[in-house]
Amino acid sequence: MIYSEQLPILLMIFPLFAAFAISVTGVFHTRYCYPVAVCALIGSLYTSVGVLFEVLEKGVIHYRLGGWPPPFGIEYVIDYLNGLVLVVVSFVSLGAVIFSKESVKQELPDKIPQFYTLFVLLVTGLLGMTVTGDAFNLYVLLEISALATYALIAMGKGRAMFSSFIYVIMGTLGACFYLLGVGHLYIMTGSLNMGDLYTLMPDLYASHAILVAFLLILVGIWIKMAFFPLHGWLPNAYTYAPTATSCLIAPLMTKVSVYIMIRIMFSTFSPAFVFNTFAAANVIVWMAVAAIIGGSILALAQTDFKKMLTYLIVAEVGYMVGGIWLANRHGITGAILHIVNDALMTLCLFLVVGIIVYKTKGHQFNNMQGLYKKMPITMAAFTIGALSMIGVPPTAGFFSKWYLILGAIDSGQWSFMAALLFSSLVNAVLFFRVIEIGYFEPFADHHGHGHHDGAAIAIDEAPLSMLAPLVVVALSLIILGVYAGYIVTNVIQFAVPAGI
Amino acid sequence: METIITDYNYWIYILLMMIGLYAMLSQNNLVKKIIGMSIFQTAIIVFYVSIGAKKDATIPIIEHGHGHGAASQAISALQYVNPLPHVLMLTAIVVAVSTLGVALAIILGIHRQYGTLEEDEILEQI
Amino acid sequence: MIWQLDLIILTLIILCAFATISVQDLLSAAIIFGAYSFLMCLLWTEMGSVDVGFTEAAVGAGVGTVFCIAAVFQTTRKVKVDHQMNPSKFIGLLAASFIGIVLLIAQGDFPAWADPDSPASRYLSPHFITNTIAETSVPNIVTSVLADYRGFDTMFETAVIFAAGVAVFAILRRGRGKEENDQAVAAGTEDVNQDLIIQWICRQLVPFMQLFALYVVAHGHHSPGGGFQGGVILGASFILLQLTYDLKTVLQRMSERWNVLLGNLGVFIYAGIGLLCLVLGANFLDYSVLSKILPATSPIMARSHGMLGIEIGVAIAVMAIMIGIYTNLSSHGDHEQGL
Repeated sequence: MIYSEQLPILLMIFPLFAAFAISVTGVFHTRYCYPVAVCALIGSLYTSVGVLFEVLEKGVIHYRLGGWPPPFGIEYVIDYLNGLVLVVVSFVSLGAVIFSKESVKQELPDKIPQFYTLFVLLVTGLLGMTVTGDAFNLYVLLEISALATYALIAMGKGRAMFSSFIYVIMGTLGACFYLLGVGHLYIMTGSLNMGDLYTLMPDLYASHAILVAFLLILVGIWIKMAFFPLHGWLPNAYTYAPTATSCLIAPLMTKVSVYIMIRIMFSTFSPAFVFNTFAAANVIVWMAVAAIIGGSILALAQTDFKKMLTYLIVAEVGYMVGGIWLANRHGITGAILHIVNDALMTLCLFLVVGIIVYKTKGHQFNNMQGLYKKMPITMAAFTIGALSMIGVPPTAGFFSKWYLILGAIDSGQWSFMAALLFSSLVNAVLFFRVIEIGYFEPFADHHGHGHHDGAAIAIDEAPLSMLAPLVVVALSLIILGVYAGYIVTNVIQFAVPAGI
Repeated sequence: METIITDYNYWIYILLMMIGLYAMLSQNNLVKKIIGMSIFQTAIIVFYVSIGAKKDATIPIIEHGHGHGAASQAISALQYVNPLPHVLMLTAIVVAVSTLGVALAIILGIHRQYGTLEEDEILEQI
Repeated sequence: MIWQLDLIILTLIILCAFATISVQDLLSAAIIFGAYSFLMCLLWTEMGSVDVGFTEAAVGAGVGTVFCIAAVFQTTRKVKVDHQMNPSKFIGLLAASFIGIVLLIAQGDFPAWADPDSPASRYLSPHFITNTIAETSVPNIVTSVLADYRGFDTMFETAVIFAAGVAVFAILRRGRGKEENDQAVAAGTEDVNQDLIIQWICRQLVPFMQLFALYVVAHGHHSPGGGFQGGVILGASFILLQLTYDLKTVLQRMSERWNVLLGNLGVFIYAGIGLLCLVLGANFLDYSVLSKILPATSPIMARSHGMLGIEIGVAIAVMAIMIGIYTNLSSHGDHEQGL
């Protein structure tokens, strides 16, 4: 066995087998669940970095599952784009799982094995969606990650159960639309392999059925990524989910959906079809503008820190979708870079929320009063995340926004540029408000109402298992910012489809 | 008559899909929503299986396929219906029942929490 | 295919779909939905898709309906009557008519139904039909495509079921302490309001069901059926026991711990065979390499045996998880009392 040839599948084997290991050991003792999950995701991160370097060295990797040649069997295709997304997915999930230790113990003490089993299954699904080159295989993986997410959200408190139900309905609807679109492609071409469809379809571009197929797939993915008019399910589901769950799904689910959209647009259909035949780029950029502005305004209206962040996710989805549909090199580069940056920024902010919830038992703004004095490291990391979200150099967020604005100028989409600037302004207002609360307002003892007699937990820095991933992620935001140019010239440049 | 026969399957699947979608979005009762979801999913299965149908063909199991001499027989693709959509839909059915199970579990949880299955009554309580 | 039959079944399906949505009682809705599923399985069998029909009969009409009924029993069967037009109904109508129009437009370009010259019939599928015997030595093409050509899909399909099992457990399970549970199980099953005749008949039925399930799994290479169908039937035999006796009787035979372990074992067998292929030097799930360790087996027969192995894994996983989901749904997660 040549080790490097098997890398693409090893990537998935680690979390998949970890699911069994966690589930089985969980029957006897919950002690081993956490270390197994961490080890598996370290394995995934290691292999995905290996895969990325393979791609950089040798070009696109094809992996035949079951040894069957592509249109008959299923194949994995890893190129510059999903090589990069893979590393992001495995890095973020590793950060989230390391962080989850104390938080799961606190919030879900009797469901630890189930939590970690579903957690690693979700990561398996996300990694699989990223690498697969088969349209139907993508659906199966979409469903495995969706089912895991439903349960992970429903394990939360309060509205979590009902929010999860709404998500079941919307998520299934999205997946069904996707499946229906793939069915239309299949009836017209007879194939399911993405690369194969790419070569088969050009003769059929004029067909209504192909147009409808594209529309159905697009709407299906939009529901999954909560693109603006279809975003209704996201804020509540992500807000009321258990902390450890939202640290994983908030950074990754929407980003992987955006990646799938790029994959479908440029590797299954082609830029020529998407921008010339389908010819709705302007409308979609306008929808993205609505997403950015709508998400920002709704975020302004919140008094709950976590919920505010979920509305910012809706706005960020607008960034990426808009960037791609600008249909030029800068826009798409910006969108891909933003997938990376936004995953890390969102992770950073949600980890901060996680620590605040762990220490103060709430995620309202007033839970944050005076926290700068009590937990300086956490709040320093929060500041970096916030600055990156606003788009202040040298943090990562600045550079992707810069490319997006260049793209908007190239296509003359002034409204999109205005929306980007508006959103930066709103983010600045939002985060400075939070910083002000955290820095200037005196610390108030919220959690201790019930147990004042010395039982109150001291508010100080979080345990190392929470702080370490947070600090690493915050630092990586700055490192990513510094090396943004390097990533663009060495990876993303090749990920943008030719002919744009 | 010819068009009715050739297109009836597709019309029916579209109609089923509309019924399912309407129920999913409009029914106030959560169980009804889930049944709508299942109808929507089966509509897709009808669609795929209709793709696989082939005139004058039999079920996709090779006749006299037992034993090792079978490989030498000539097999014509026209004899058997297209098996690929069937495979895909086996997966889809299983996914559908898994979703159904999880959705019903969530419904039980909601009922435990709010004591009702009507969406508007739940929203009032929140 | 007999198109007259096709027409009749399709019309009945539409009637059932309308009925199940509009009936004002959830139990009736669940039962009508079961009838709907049976009609679906007729329809698919009639279109030549025996495996899908079989699966729908076992999964959709069988277990799916039972899940619905269990959920309705545990909640309420009442539906609030509501004839007023509200925004959500408007959105529903709008979305439904929009999707209807869009799909009709697309349908205009479809090849005619059951046309042997359609792209789907001409492009990939002839390869599967003509080469399945030569390449995998499995006459049931659906099995060979399911378990081998697209075996990776099927592995994740099994993983989806596994995820659903864990998910239902994670959402619903609320246990008392372990000892208490064991005591309750040990405390016995002196349930009096069970019907002796039904119990006796079901007790006679269960062994045959299980035997049939094993046949379906083992004979999936040559006839309709395979791991999923067999697994669901095996699971259904336990569900039948739960329905006629009670939860405790079944938990004594198949405890929760065993259930979890078996569910894991099933998926593990599947993924493990894939991994074994990897270790032996081929790609993941490339069963032909198993001929290295199976005595007197050519690579082609090794594919056939590999498929049998994964079908067994699938059957075990599906059985355990169907029982697990039903147990949690019917007892509201506390495993105290079933329906």
